[in-house]
Amino acid sequence: MSFEQVFSLTVSGVTVGMIYALIALGYTMVYGVLEFINFAHGEVFTFGGIMAAVVLGWTGVSDAMPIWLRVVCLGGALVAAVLATVGLGLAIERLAYRPLRGRSRIIPLLAAIGVSITLQQLMILVFGPDSIIVPPSVVPAQFVTLFGSRIRVLAFIIIGISLLLMLGLTYIVRSTRIGKAMRATSQDIEAAQMMGIETNHVIAFTFAVGSGLAAVGGLLVTMYYGSIRFDSGYIYGLKAFTAAVLGGIGNIPGAVVGSLILGLAETYGVGLNLGLLMWFFVAGLAAGLYFQLVRAPKRRLKHIREEDRTPAYEREIMRLYRLAPVYAVRVALAKRTDALMAVSARHALQLTLGNVFLAVMAIVFFLNGHAQIDPQWQNVIAFAVMMIILLFRPSGLLGEHSQEKV
Amino acid sequence: MAPVLELVGLTKAFGGLTAVNDMSLTVEPGEIVSIIGPNGSGKTTLFNLVSGIYEPDSGDILLEGESIAGLRPDQIQAKGISRTFQMLRLFSNMTVLENVLVGMHSRTKTRLLGAMFRLPWVTREEKEAVARAQEILAFFPGRFSGPRQSQPAASLSYANRRRLEIARALAGEPRILLLDEPVAGMNPAESLEVMQQIRELRDRGQTILMIEHDMKVVLGASDRLIAMDHGVKIAEGDPQDVANDPRVVEAYLGQRDAAAS
Amino acid sequence: MAKSGGKKRGPIATALGRVPRWVYLTAALVLAVLFPLLHSAGLMDMLWIRVAIRSLTFVLLALGLNVVMGETGLLNLGYVAFFAIGAYTTALLSSPSLGFHWSFWPLLVLSMVFAMLAGLLVGLPTLRLRGDYLAIVTLAFGEIVRTVFLNVTSITNGAAGIPAIYTPNIFGWVVTEPPQFYYLILFFVVVVVIALTNVKNSRVGRAWNALREDEIAAIHSGIDATRAKILAMVISAGVAGLAGCLFAYYQSFINPTYFLFMQSVIVVCMVVLGGMGSIPGAVIGAIVLDSLPDVIRATFSDWLPRVFGPTFMASWPAWLQSFFTDFEKYRLLLFGIVVVLVVIFRPEGLLPDTLWRSETHEEDPREQEYTRQTLFDIDEGNQDLEA
Repeated sequence: MSFEQVFSLTVSGVTVGMIYALIALGYTMVYGVLEFINFAHGEVFTFGGIMAAVVLGWTGVSDAMPIWLRVVCLGGALVAAVLATVGLGLAIERLAYRPLRGRSRIIPLLAAIGVSITLQQLMILVFGPDSIIVPPSVVPAQFVTLFGSRIRVLAFIIIGISLLLMLGLTYIVRSTRIGKAMRATSQDIEAAQMMGIETNHVIAFTFAVGSGLAAVGGLLVTMYYGSIRFDSGYIYGLKAFTAAVLGGIGNIPGAVVGSLILGLAETYGVGLNLGLLMWFFVAGLAAGLYFQLVRAPKRRLKHIREEDRTPAYEREIMRLYRLAPVYAVRVALAKRTDALMAVSARHALQLTLGNVFLAVMAIVFFLNGHAQIDPQWQNVIAFAVMMIILLFRPSGLLGEHSQEKV
Repeated sequence: MAPVLELVGLTKAFGGLTAVNDMSLTVEPGEIVSIIGPNGSGKTTLFNLVSGIYEPDSGDILLEGESIAGLRPDQIQAKGISRTFQMLRLFSNMTVLENVLVGMHSRTKTRLLGAMFRLPWVTREEKEAVARAQEILAFFPGRFSGPRQSQPAASLSYANRRRLEIARALAGEPRILLLDEPVAGMNPAESLEVMQQIRELRDRGQTILMIEHDMKVVLGASDRLIAMDHGVKIAEGDPQDVANDPRVVEAYLGQRDAAAS
Repeated sequence: MAKSGGKKRGPIATALGRVPRWVYLTAALVLAVLFPLLHSAGLMDMLWIRVAIRSLTFVLLALGLNVVMGETGLLNLGYVAFFAIGAYTTALLSSPSLGFHWSFWPLLVLSMVFAMLAGLLVGLPTLRLRGDYLAIVTLAFGEIVRTVFLNVTSITNGAAGIPAIYTPNIFGWVVTEPPQFYYLILFFVVVVVIALTNVKNSRVGRAWNALREDEIAAIHSGIDATRAKILAMVISAGVAGLAGCLFAYYQSFINPTYFLFMQSVIVVCMVVLGGMGSIPGAVIGAIVLDSLPDVIRATFSDWLPRVFGPTFMASWPAWLQSFFTDFEKYRLLLFGIVVVLVVIFRPEGLLPDTLWRSETHEEDPREQEYTRQTLFDIDEGNQDLEA
C-alpha cells in the first residue's frame, strides 16, 4: 500500500471512529453512573439522525440558497434534533428506568430492551420503513488534496466537531459542579446521595448529555453516508458498545480510544480479503496455544506451595493444561480435590475454549477465503473482538482491573 | 482430639490496610467461641477468610487438621463450615422449606438426569431431605410450623428471617457454625430466646464461632471470648475477664472518643 | 421482587387458587389434544393449526430460555442461535443439499447435542462475567452464528437457505400434514414441561433459583455457581436445539432470516410476560404473545364481521380500522410496550411462580402480629445503638 492510500484510509478510519465515539460516550457515561447498559441508546442515536434529516427536509433547503443560509438551516436542524433527542433520552430515563432503580440488574436491562423495540417500531410507524435521505445541498461536496490523496472536506468537519464536543465534555466532567457530582455518583451512588448530591438530577443530566452527543452523531452519520434508517441504530449501537468495552466501559477517554481503534481496524480491513484475515486468526491461535501449553502452566507452577512441590505434582499440572477437556471432566467428577488443581482445570478449560473459538473462526474464514470483507464480516469481526476482550480482559484497555462487587 | 477449627497466623491486607493481621485461634469441639471488637476491627473479614470469600495472603486455616485455605466457598461449605450473614441473605422468593433444602445442597446427591426422570432413589432422597429440613425447622418451635413452611421467605418477620438463616446453615450439617451477629436488630426477649437456642445447639454437640455486639448474649452464651482490634487479637479467655480487660475497654472507648471528636 | 411475597391476593385469584392444580393441567392437556379435531369437524381453518404449531415451537423456546433467564437469572440475548444450530443440523443431514438422509431420532439427539456444545462453548468462558455483559456476549454470539450460516455458502447455501428437508419418519409414522406435526410438537412440549418441572422441584433446580436470588448466599450453601450456571445454559441450549430440529422438519425449508436477533428478543418478551421462573407462565406467555396478532386480525376481519355484518367497522376512523385488520404491523411494537409495562408494573409476570406453586391456605393471623412487633423492634434497636 502506498502512503497516499494509508493516509486516506487513516482519515476515514478516524472519521468513523469519531462517530462511534459520540455514541460510545453515551453508553460509557450511563454505565459509569448506573452500571447499566442502556440498550436503547442505539435507537436514541437513530432518532437524532432521523430528526435532523426530517427537519432539514422541512426547511426546504436547496442548492438555490446561498451558503450561509444553508449553514443556518443545518445549524437549526442540528439544534432541533439535539433538543428532541435530549427530550427523548430524559423521557426514557424518567418513565422506564427511574421506577426500576435499585432492582436486580436483569430488570432494568429488560426494560431497556423493551424501550429499544418500542422506539424502533414507533420510528417505522412515524417515519416509514425506508431510508431517510438528507438533502444533498447541505453536505459539503468538496475534496481537498492532502499528501497526494483526495479527502472529503466533510471528514475534517466531522473530526473537528467531534473533537470540540469531546473537549467540551472533558471540561464539564473535570471542572464544573455537575461534572464533579457525576464523578462522585459514579464512584459510589449511595455515598454521593448521603453527601447531599441530587443523584436523580445527575443521572438525568448524564442521560441528557449522552443523548445530545448521540444526536450529533446521528446527524453526522446521516451526512456522511447520505441517509439513515429506523434500524441503523442496532448495528451502530452494538459497535459503539464494543468500542466502549474495548476502551474499558465507564471510562470516558477509554470510549474514545476504543472507538478510534475499532474505526481504524474496520477501514484498514476493507479491501483485504478474508483469506488474509484467516492468518490473523491463525496467528492468534498460535499465540493462544503457546499461552495454554507453555506460559500458563509455568505461571501456575509458581503458585504451588513449598510443601506440595513434587515433580509428580508439577507434571500433573503441565498435563492438565495439555489435556484440559479430559481433566476438567475428571476434576469436576472428583468430589474432593485440591484447590489449585480445580482452579487450574477451569483455567485450562477456558483457554482451550478460547483457542477452539479462534480455530473455528480461522476455519470459517478459510472456507470463505475469496470473500471480500463486506460490512457483514466487519460486524462479525467486531463481535469477535468484543468477545475476546470480555473473555481475556473484561475491564478493557484503559479500565482499571476491578473485581466484581461482592 | 484435634481442634475443629484452627487459624494459624492468618493475614489479609486490602491495599495498604491490613484487615486481619497474624491472627491465630483454635475452636475446640462442642464449644461456643465469640469474637467481639469495635466496628472495622476485622471480625467480618475473618469470617470471610474462613468461609472462603477471600483467600488469605499468608497463614493457614485448618478444619479438623486439614488445610482448607484457597478452596472455594462451596467447597468449604461441603467440608463442614456453614455461616450466616450480618446483612440477611435469604432466598426471598423461595419458600421457607426450600431455603433449608438449599442449605442441604452439599449433603444430597441428585444430579440432572436423575431429577429429570424422577428416578426412585431421587424421590426417596427428596423425601428424606424434606423430613430432615422439617426436623431442623422444628428446632425453632412454633416459628416455622405448618403452612408457614410453604410461604416465601420474604413474608417472614425480621426475627424469623434471622432464625431461618440459622436453620439453613444448620442444614449443611456443619462441623462448625459461623454466626455473624445472630441477634442484630432483635428485641431483648427475642435475643434471649436465640441465645438460649444457641446454647441448646452447643448442648447437642454443635461447635459455634460467633461475632456478636450484644454483650448480654455474648456473656450468656460463650464458653470463651476473643477480642479483636485493628485486625489483631487483643485479649482471649474467660468471657467475664475479657469483657473487663482494660485493653478491650480502651479499644471500645478509644473508638467512641475518636467518633465523638 | 421481594415485595411480591407478602402481597394480598384479590378475590378472583383466591377463588382460582382454590381449584386444585391438576384440574387446570388436565383441562389444558385435553384442550390441546382435542384442538385439531375442530379442524377435522370443519369448524376451523387449517391456518389455526399452523398458528398453533408456531406457538408451540415458541413454547419450547420460552421453556428453554426460562431455564437460564427465569430460573437462574442470566439474560441470554442470543438464544435463537441455539435454535438455528438445531435447525441447521437437521436441515443439513436430512436434505438433498449435502446428500445425507439421517433418520429422525439420531438427528433429534444430534441437534440437541450440537446446540448443547454451543451452549457450553459460550457458557464456560462467559459465565464468570457479570450478568449484563453476558447479555451482550450472547447477543454477539447470536449474530456471529447467523452471519456464519448466511455467508458460509459452500455448506449452508447462504441466504437462499436449505430447501426440501425430508419428512420425518418416526417408527413408520410419516409426519407430513400439519395436524400430525401439531401432535408431534405437542408430545415434545409435554415431555419438556414434565422434565423441566421435575428438575425445577429438585436439588438442581433449587440451586439455580438460589443463584438467582442471592449468589453469595448460594455459594455459601455449597452450590458450585459456575457449574450450576453452565448446566442451566447447556440444558436451555438443548431445548432450543430440540425446537430447531422440529422446526426444520415442519418448515421443510430454512434460511438465515428465521434466526434474526428479533426472534431472541421475542422469546425474552414471552418469558417476561409469563413470569420469569414460572413454567406455566412461559407456556402461556408464548401462546398469548405469538397467537395474539393472528387472533386480533381474525377477530376484526373475520369473526366480528360475521356476527355484526361485514360493515360494522365502517363508521370507525380509518386508522382504527387498519390498526385492527393490519395488526401484524404493530406486533413488535406491542411486544416492546408489553415488556416495559410488565417490568415496571408486574415484574412477576402473568402467572408468577409463587402464585402457581403456593398451596391454598388460611391467612395466619400470628404472622401479621409478628411483623408489627418486629417493625417496632427495629426502631427500638436503632435507638439502642444511638444511645
